[in-house]
Amino acid sequence: MLDLSQRQWVKHAVVHPVEGFEDMRWKKSGSLRIAALIIVMLFFAQIAHSRLYGFQFGMPEQKTFNVFPYLVRSFVIFGAWVIGNWSVCTLLDGEGTARNICIYSSYALVPYIVQLYVNVGLSHILIQDEAVFMQAVSIIGTGWSVILMFSAIRSVHQYSAAKTFAAIALTIAAMLIMLFLLVLFLSLIQQMWIFLSTIYTELFYRTRT
Amino acid sequence: MRKTLKMLLSFGMSLILAGASLTSAAASAGNGETYNYDVWGEAIPSQAGYIPDRAVSGSDIGAGSFDAPSDIFFDGSDSLYIADSKNDRIVVTDSGLTHSQGVYDRFIMPDGSRTKLKTPKGVYVSDYTGYIYIADSENERVLVATKDRMVVLEIKMPGSEMYTAPTFKPQRVLADKAGNIYVVLGNITTGAAMFSPKGEFMGFYGSNRVQPTAEIIGSFIRRLFMTEEKKSRRTRNVPTGITGFDIDGDFIYTCTASSTQKTDTVKKLNAAGKNIFAAKELSFGDNRPMYDASKSILMAPAITDIEVSADGCINCLDYTTGRIFQYDDECGLLFIVGEKSDQLGGFTSAAAVESCGNCLYVADSVKDTITVFRETPFGAAVHKANSLYNAGYYEEALEPWYEVLRHDGNYRRANLGVASALLRKGDYKGSMKYAKLAGSPEIYNKAFEGYRREFIRSHFTAIVLTLTGASAAAVLLHRRKKRRISRKEK
Repeated sequence: MLDLSQRQWVKHAVVHPVEGFEDMRWKKSGSLRIAALIIVMLFFAQIAHSRLYGFQFGMPEQKTFNVFPYLVRSFVIFGAWVIGNWSVCTLLDGEGTARNICIYSSYALVPYIVQLYVNVGLSHILIQDEAVFMQAVSIIGTGWSVILMFSAIRSVHQYSAAKTFAAIALTIAAMLIMLFLLVLFLSLIQQMWIFLSTIYTELFYRTRT
Repeated sequence: MRKTLKMLLSFGMSLILAGASLTSAAASAGNGETYNYDVWGEAIPSQAGYIPDRAVSGSDIGAGSFDAPSDIFFDGSDSLYIADSKNDRIVVTDSGLTHSQGVYDRFIMPDGSRTKLKTPKGVYVSDYTGYIYIADSENERVLVATKDRMVVLEIKMPGSEMYTAPTFKPQRVLADKAGNIYVVLGNITTGAAMFSPKGEFMGFYGSNRVQPTAEIIGSFIRRLFMTEEKKSRRTRNVPTGITGFDIDGDFIYTCTASSTQKTDTVKKLNAAGKNIFAAKELSFGDNRPMYDASKSILMAPAITDIEVSADGCINCLDYTTGRIFQYDDECGLLFIVGEKSDQLGGFTSAAAVESCGNCLYVADSVKDTITVFRETPFGAAVHKANSLYNAGYYEEALEPWYEVLRHDGNYRRANLGVASALLRKGDYKGSMKYAKLAGSPEIYNKAFEGYRREFIRSHFTAIVLTLTGASAAAVLLHRRKKRRISRKEK
C-alpha cells in the first residue's frame, strides 16, 4: 500500500489534509528537491501575482521592478518559518527534523501557490464585476494551505491539536524576532560600511594630493 | 525622491540656460523644458503649455513704475485692474498691456468729501453691478465705487458681536451675482468675511478645517483632562486663514498659502460654504516638493493666488516655486509654468495670477512687473481637447487628443481621452492600449469587457470545440491511466 513516487506524494499530501502527512511520515517520504522547487514556484507566483495581473484589477504597485521584496516574501519568510519552527519545537519536544519541517511546510503551501497562478490567469479573463470568483479561488486556496500547514506541523512533530496551535503561535513570534534582528543587523552593517567607505574616501583624497 | 529632485534640478538648469536665449525661445513656441506628472506621480519632461512672452512694467504702459503690485483683475470688458499697493493706486490698462486707461487713487465720498487709497491690496470689478471693489488695506476698509470714482459704499470694521478680531485688514475682495461682498482679511482664520450688498456684516464664509495631525489629536485628548485655566493658556489649534479667492459663477474658489497645511489648500465652495473638493483626494502644487540644499528649505507649495479662467481652468500660483499650476475644472493637472528666477518667466515674489483669452498674467510684487505668458500650440490643443472631453464630447475630442499626443506622447490626460473616445466608438482593443498607458483600470475594465464579448462572439465555435476536445482528451487519458494501473496490479 502507498507505494508512491515522490511526485505522487505531493499530490497525496495535498488532497488528504487529515492523514496525508501522517502517511508521509510513516513511509519516511518527501523530497527536499521538490520542496525547493515549490518555494521557487512560490517566488515566481508572487512576482506573477503583482506584475502580470490583469490591468482591469489595478495597476502594478511599483513603476520599476525590484526583486528584493519578492525574495523576502518567498525565500526569507519561508526560511524564517522553518528555522523558527525548528528552534521552537526542539524545545517543545517536537520530533521533526529541520529537513522534515522544510519538506512538510513547503508541501502544505502548494494550494496557496496554485491559487496565485490560477488567479493570475483568471485576472486576464474576468472583469471587475466578476472578481468574486477570484476571491473565492483565493479564499479556498489560502484556507486549504492553512489547514494543510496545521496538519503538517502536527504530523511532523507528533503534537496534539492544542500544542500545534501553541507551537505555530510561538513560531510566528520567533519569526518576528528573527526578522527584527535581521533588520537591525543589516542597518548596523550599513552603518559600518558607510564608516569604512568614508575613511577610504578620505584617505584616497589625501594621498592623491 | 532623488530622481525627482534631479529631474527638477536639471529642469531648473535648463530653464536658466534657455533663459539666456529667451527671445529666440519665445519665438520658437513650445520648446521650453517643462515638466508634468506621469501616472505614477513622478515628474517627467513635458511640452510647455505656456511660454513667457514679455514682462510689462508700469512705465511701459505710461503710468509710472509700479511699486509692489499685489493684485490684478480682468473685468468683463478685458480691462486689467492692477492694485499698485505701495503707490496707493489702482491702475487700469487694456488686455494687451499697451497703455494706461486710467489711474484710480482718490474717490469722492457720498457726502462730497474726497478720500485717498492707502496700500490697496486687492481689487475686483463686478460685471453685474459694474462697481469697483477695493480692499483698501491700510485704511482698514473696503471701498465700493463706480468707475466715475463715486464711492457707493464704505465697509469698515464691523461692530457686530460675531466679529471678534481686533483688526480689519482687507487683502482680497470679490462680489457675487447678488452683490454680496466677500473679503479676505489678514490674520483671520475663520474664513472670508461676508457682507450684504448694503454693507452689513453677515458672518464668515468658507473657513479651513484643522488638519488632524498626530500632534493635534494628542493635544485634543490631553485637553479633555485640563482645567479651563490651563486650557486658556495653551496655544489654540486654529486652521490657516485663506489667502486668496476667485469666483466663477456660483462657486468661490479659495486658496491657502501655508507651508505646513496639506488639506484645504485649494477649495471649491458652493453657496452654502461647503467644499466640493473635500471628498476627492486632491493635492495641489508639486507632488514631492524639491529640497533646496543651498538654503536648506523644503520648497513646499504655498498657493498664494487662485484664478478661474473663462473656460473653467483653475490657475494656482505657487509662491515658493514661482510656478503656476493649471488644472482643469475636474482638478486634473494640465500644465506647470513659471519658475523662481530673475529671467523673463521667472518670479521673485509672485503675487497674483489672472488669465484673459489665451494668455496668463502674473504680477510680481518685487520685480514690479506683470509677466505675460502666451499659450503655445500644444497648450491650445490640450485646452481644446480637454474642454470637449470634460463636456462629454469624447469622440469629438479624439482628434485633438491625437494632436496632443503628437506633441507629447507622455501626456497622461491625452491617453485617457483617447481611451475614453475609442471605448465610446467601440474600438475596444485600442481603448485597452491607451487605458493602460493612461493608468486607468476603470476604462480598461470597460474596454476589456467589450473586447471579451466580441472575442467570444467571433470565436464561439473554436472555443467550444477546444473546450470539448480538451475535456475529451482529459477523460481519455484518465481512463487509459486507470487501465494501466489495474493491469499492473494484476
